[in-house]
Amino acid sequence: MIKNYFKIALRNLFKNKGFTAINIIGLALGLGCFIVIAMYVADELSYDRYHEKADRIYRINSDIRFGGTDLIMAVSSDPIGATLKQDYPEVEESARLYSSSGSKLIKKGDEYINESRVTHADSTLFDVFTLPAIVGDTKSALKEPNSVVMTESAARRYFGSPDNAIGKTLETDDNRSTLYNVTAVIKDMPKNSHFNYEFFFSMANIRYTMGNYLSHNFHTYVVLQPDVDYKEFNKYFTDVINKYVMPQASHFMKVESMEAFEKSGNKLEYALFPLTDIHLKSSRGVELGTNGNIQYVYIFSAAALFILLIACINFMNLTTARSSGRAKEVGIRKVLGSEKRALIWQFLTESTLIAFIALICAIVFAWLSLDWFNSISSKEMVISSLIRPEYLAVLLALPFMVGIMAGAYPAFFLSSFQPVKVLKGKISSGTSKNNLRSFLVVFQFSTSIILIIGTVVIYQQLSHIQNSKVGFDKEQVLVVENSGLPRQARESLKSEIAQLTDVKSASFGGYLPVGDSSRSDTTFSSEAVMTESNGFNMQFWNIDYDYIPTLGMEMIEGRNFSRAFGSDSLGIILNESAVKSAGFKNPIGQKLYTSFGPNEPMIPYTVIGVVKNFNYESLRQNVGPLSFILGNNSWVSIYRFQTADITGLVDVVERKYKAMAPGMPFNYRFMDESFDNMYRQEQRVGKVALTFSILAILIACLGLFGLATYIAEQRTKEIGIRKVLGATVTNIVAMLSTDFIKLVLISFVIATPIAYWFMNKWLQDFAFRIDINWWVFILTGIIALLIALVTLSFQAIRAAISNPVKSLRTE
Amino acid sequence: MLLELKNIYKWVNSGSRRIFLLKDINLEVKEGEFMSIMGPSGSGKSTLLNVIGMLDHFNEGTYNFLNEPVHELKEKHRANLYKEYIGFVFQAYHLIDELTVYENIETPLLYKNVKSSERKALVADMLDRFNIVGKKDLFPQQLSGGQQQLVGIARALISKPKLILADEPTGNLNSKQSEEIMELFKDLNNEGVTIIQATHSEMNASYGSRTIHLLDGMRNRTN
Repeated sequence: MIKNYFKIALRNLFKNKGFTAINIIGLALGLGCFIVIAMYVADELSYDRYHEKADRIYRINSDIRFGGTDLIMAVSSDPIGATLKQDYPEVEESARLYSSSGSKLIKKGDEYINESRVTHADSTLFDVFTLPAIVGDTKSALKEPNSVVMTESAARRYFGSPDNAIGKTLETDDNRSTLYNVTAVIKDMPKNSHFNYEFFFSMANIRYTMGNYLSHNFHTYVVLQPDVDYKEFNKYFTDVINKYVMPQASHFMKVESMEAFEKSGNKLEYALFPLTDIHLKSSRGVELGTNGNIQYVYIFSAAALFILLIACINFMNLTTARSSGRAKEVGIRKVLGSEKRALIWQFLTESTLIAFIALICAIVFAWLSLDWFNSISSKEMVISSLIRPEYLAVLLALPFMVGIMAGAYPAFFLSSFQPVKVLKGKISSGTSKNNLRSFLVVFQFSTSIILIIGTVVIYQQLSHIQNSKVGFDKEQVLVVENSGLPRQARESLKSEIAQLTDVKSASFGGYLPVGDSSRSDTTFSSEAVMTESNGFNMQFWNIDYDYIPTLGMEMIEGRNFSRAFGSDSLGIILNESAVKSAGFKNPIGQKLYTSFGPNEPMIPYTVIGVVKNFNYESLRQNVGPLSFILGNNSWVSIYRFQTADITGLVDVVERKYKAMAPGMPFNYRFMDESFDNMYRQEQRVGKVALTFSILAILIACLGLFGLATYIAEQRTKEIGIRKVLGATVTNIVAMLSTDFIKLVLISFVIATPIAYWFMNKWLQDFAFRIDINWWVFILTGIIALLIALVTLSFQAIRAAISNPVKSLRTE
Repeated sequence: MLLELKNIYKWVNSGSRRIFLLKDINLEVKEGEFMSIMGPSGSGKSTLLNVIGMLDHFNEGTYNFLNEPVHELKEKHRANLYKEYIGFVFQAYHLIDELTVYENIETPLLYKNVKSSERKALVADMLDRFNIVGKKDLFPQQLSGGQQQLVGIARALISKPKLILADEPTGNLNSKQSEEIMELFKDLNNEGVTIIQATHSEMNASYGSRTIHLLDGMRNRTN
């Protein structure tokens, strides 16, 4: 019997090639989309779960508010991990990472290579995380100073093989030159890790005054004993603060007690944060990589489900619309003795079969689009990752589910036909006056319109970011890293390049108003003695005389640092927010105080100028307080140029650099590119949203096309009669299209407020954002209407221009 | 007695008026009869056949088929009854376009859950008997009208029914084809199959052993 069902299903599919193609393509697109997104979501959710103790590992987060500045950080102080382990038996182990020193130059042969995936780590790291060794023993690998653990691929790069690496030394540029012994080689870290390093150097080699509870520079992880509730454990931090942190703080400023500190609007809080939540739910300061965002995971999943739903709806719609074509068959089968149940099975078999074919197409489609999807989502997913029992089970279950879901309505609808009626040709179920079908079309188009509006708003916001005035001129600025150059060489290289005609201005710097740049946060007070109430935190950047003009920042009061004034070493330039934080009415000439350590004296700075606020963080955040002092920070050189031949300029700069520092890597970037990088996630989301909208509208149109085809076929006779009675082509097209156009308009009315609500919510993430224009909705409505019209008119016009004599004769 | 209709009424309401499709039909058919129902278009021939074939309901009266009271039976039971004992032949053949000749004939057996080997044998017999073995893999559109109707009859016979209901079986055929089909019915009747046909043609009716006339849903007793 099943064989018979299959046979007739296949023949039916072949007989109606157009219908089958529309059905399969629509479903395959929906399924393919679903598969790709499911892979993406599975990958996002898998972060850090490979560690054996993953469910017991926590990171210590810090939340500090001081003087109106919030510091929400993924780092904590250096002693806190060890303190917890010592004082609380609930803590099994702790380990720290210190990555603040950034990248290292590592010598390979005669050449230095700039390695950015480097960190210093405690020897206990390997007791916390599961990072299996290939050779060597990780237990003891980092106990001694000057030891390093590297990954397999790093070992291959430097020594040819892991076995070869053991016992060898690596030379880095720490303190000009430091040698490290390779004590172990571990497997490469899986991609789905929130930190991903190739080199772990021993913690003993960092230059840091340990035992400081007030500086937060270490990523600290703890393993709790099994069955310890971390939320309960978090309550202990109050005791830790009172016992260890407050005594140190009172050296530095007058703090009466924790209560007084909090009463004056300040805050100091520590909390454990589950390791497996870090990737998707943490976006604090000083994260160890670009984390994902659980919101986008939700949005993508919802979009994928909706597209799958749209595709299933198509399927239902088309199959039901076509039911009149199958009515005769149903009638005969019933007369021949088929029971209703047998017919239901037959139609379910048919829809499941289509779903299976669609699944195969979908996998091919997913495979073809995966490279592209990887490039926009910066993932490295492969289709073979689907070959896992649990995924295969889901994949195989999918067509059954889809087949039954999409086939159930047509199956029950068709099988309930009265044989006598259909054999007499009395059933005409393909007309547009079908409430369920109307509802489904409205659903499809609402979803599509919401996606289109979302895409337009995302792109508008992106272009708003790109074009908004950020308070400095990011175009035509070249940034060259100086880490490979000795100090004297930096100065001569800079003045040499400044001579070039294309270069308008040159400066040294360390801090840049774009992402991926250093930051320095320091506490200031407006009076010589710091209290809870007069202190505030702000960015504290040392720059040179040419920094402000080179970056095109604008002075709104006072003056820039000048070589003409001898006293500028104690001068300070504030931005507008800093003036506000300090509470100055007339900032010029006012004094600000800070000190550089618990037992250091307070240094008075005099305000000499105010710079217009510029965005140094992403446009998601408001511009915080910031100050400049004069210093000799020459980590990078900044060149403002004016030329069309950018590659030519870079070539010249590189040649001059290489001449000064043979064997050193030449690293450069453009300011506008660094700026764009800050919004990569939004760009990605924009691209994905665009793809989704196109897919959704495409599938919806396929469905509309199919429906229109059948309705035109259904009404062939009516159209023939109308034409004989004198209807024009326009009349007929209008008659066939009006019903659908009405549905699209209803969809528009439904979709608009929903889209407005969602996109407004999304925009709240940005401190600098656009208002959603009314014309976006109108435009989207018109686009949806036009697309629907074009889709419909194919069939409508074909039906309208057909010769009535022919259509009437075939009856 | 194969079947017995007593005081059968069937009507539809059109506004306040009641239009009778069948009015007080009384009919007895014995096994082995070959009966023809004649009457002009709209006289209720097809409706009566559908009622006899249990494809259509009636509003009033009693209907016994093989001593089973059809009017009291549940839908499923009724379906089993006609599946078992009745074969249908239509004017428009009503073959399933997507199935071959072989498969069309086989279909009723599938619904009766006949075993595969047995099905093969039965269908092969039937093809043989109607001389259409060579056409078994063709689809209905590839056959002439007469051949299609042959397949239709073969399909009706495959489940060995006691009764064949034929609604204008030759309505779409030319005279030569008609004659062949009617000869076939005659032979079947001689083998013991009861046949009831609706027809316009006196010629066809003459093949039968008995003719009843319908007019406006009533038996025309004047004739």
